[in-house]
Amino acid sequence: MDRDRLTALASAVWPPAATFAALLAMLEIASGAGWLPITVPPPSAVIAEFGTSGADLLYHVWPSILATVAGFAISALVAAGFAAVGASWRRAGGPVFTLGVLVDSTPLIAVAPILVAFIGGGMTLHVVVAAVACFFSILMGMMKGFRAVDRNSDELFHVLAASRWQRLVKLALPSALPFVFAGFKIAAPLAVLGTLIAEWMGAERGVGIMMIYAMFSFDPPQVWMTIVAVCLMAIGGYSLFAVAERAFLGWADRDEGRL
Amino acid sequence: MGGIELRGATKRFALPDRELTALDSIDMTIPEGAFAALIGPSGCGKSTLLRMIADVLQPTEGQIAVAGQPPKAARLSHRIGFVFQAATLLPWRTVRENVRLPLEIAGVTPRRSPEALIDLVGLHGFEDARPAQLSGGMQQRVAIARALVLEPSVLLMDEPFGALDEITRQRMNVELLRIWKESGTTAVLVTHSISEAVFMADTVHVLSANPGRLAGSVEIDLPRPRSLGQMKLPAFNALENAVRDLLFLDDRPAEQAPRRPKVAAVGS
Repeated sequence: MDRDRLTALASAVWPPAATFAALLAMLEIASGAGWLPITVPPPSAVIAEFGTSGADLLYHVWPSILATVAGFAISALVAAGFAAVGASWRRAGGPVFTLGVLVDSTPLIAVAPILVAFIGGGMTLHVVVAAVACFFSILMGMMKGFRAVDRNSDELFHVLAASRWQRLVKLALPSALPFVFAGFKIAAPLAVLGTLIAEWMGAERGVGIMMIYAMFSFDPPQVWMTIVAVCLMAIGGYSLFAVAERAFLGWADRDEGRL
Repeated sequence: MGGIELRGATKRFALPDRELTALDSIDMTIPEGAFAALIGPSGCGKSTLLRMIADVLQPTEGQIAVAGQPPKAARLSHRIGFVFQAATLLPWRTVRENVRLPLEIAGVTPRRSPEALIDLVGLHGFEDARPAQLSGGMQQRVAIARALVLEPSVLLMDEPFGALDEITRQRMNVELLRIWKESGTTAVLVTHSISEAVFMADTVHVLSANPGRLAGSVEIDLPRPRSLGQMKLPAFNALENAVRDLLFLDDRPAEQAPRRPKVAAVGS
């Protein structure tokens, strides 16, 4: 059985991996032949950059991860509050949704400079922008989740004379989790993006400011290294929740509650 | 005192423009340990009636007694077991955990273990399976085991096998009679199959629609234990016809003009 699973895993992984490797090889060849603009370095140069500037990258990545995680956590807490109000008080559902759309449709890149004027350009700004960037996805997941209890289950718990607490713990929360996780998985890369935008506005440390420095000192391999680093952060955030989901929600249908 | 009594039970729903009488003054007695079937056309309020007995809905007028108590008291003392048309299992729980749910909520230890009930409904070996791994019929067996785990005085079933195919359904009905006999509970089955009602019940209560009224009751004096072979007997057919007569009291030949020509004849 385990061997079957391993085979299945291998056959799921190798096609995209091979495609990716082929793409890199083509880039490398094209670069060697001089077909690419000077702003696109060969993959080998970007990989080499990880070796020479790896320590610098770590120095800048840590505060970015910190800001992203903090922003995400704050956003999740605030969203949980709003979603709980929106779900338990029917009339509040509309306004809460409107608030979410409003926050989501605000162009971060335009608002971030205004926020700088309010709260300065430090870590606080990065956390706030990261929180704003991922708020809507988290809120939607939670609101949908809190309403996921179907009528029959509701009647079942009524007939069983369950208390409010039993309903919450044994029915409402487990029903909500697939949707909450779906929201989290979308929100994690968005929080990374929020941090990046905020760091462009000004930071002492951060992968965003490292990217700006590299751009202004015209160092394409370093620019690309930071881009790869940001991608890895986004993928890492997504994967974290995907793995947690698998661990907690092994029962959930493969497609249900997934986006 | 495990029976069910309805006296003048009436349910009205307030619509924006008028008041809808779903059930009009229902009188019914279901003795302790009996098996009753409720049958009627769609919209006759049979599900509403079942939900009033279970204290999911409250009657607008009239009285209901479940095991000698008002429905609310019976519900709060866990004397009511309910099986829905959909199995309504919690997908994150295994079969065993689903059957155990009522025990956790009531905070009691059962006389009969969840495992014994899982055996009773014929799911031995599936204790640790998740609902998604089971067929529709098996899921509904789990729902029945769950409804019985607190040893309720009454077992209320709202078209429990309505979503199953005819063959599975007849098998499940035979099983259900065995389970009912063994548990000794008073059973009420809502159905819209005439043969199912006659096959299962001691008494078939026939409801008519608009407003929901008790059109009549048919006593089923077929010997127990029932077997599928009985369905071929003339006595069985006679009882089916008795139910059918009550269901189609205002029947007239299909070729004749409808009694109320204003009503569009689409689909009739």
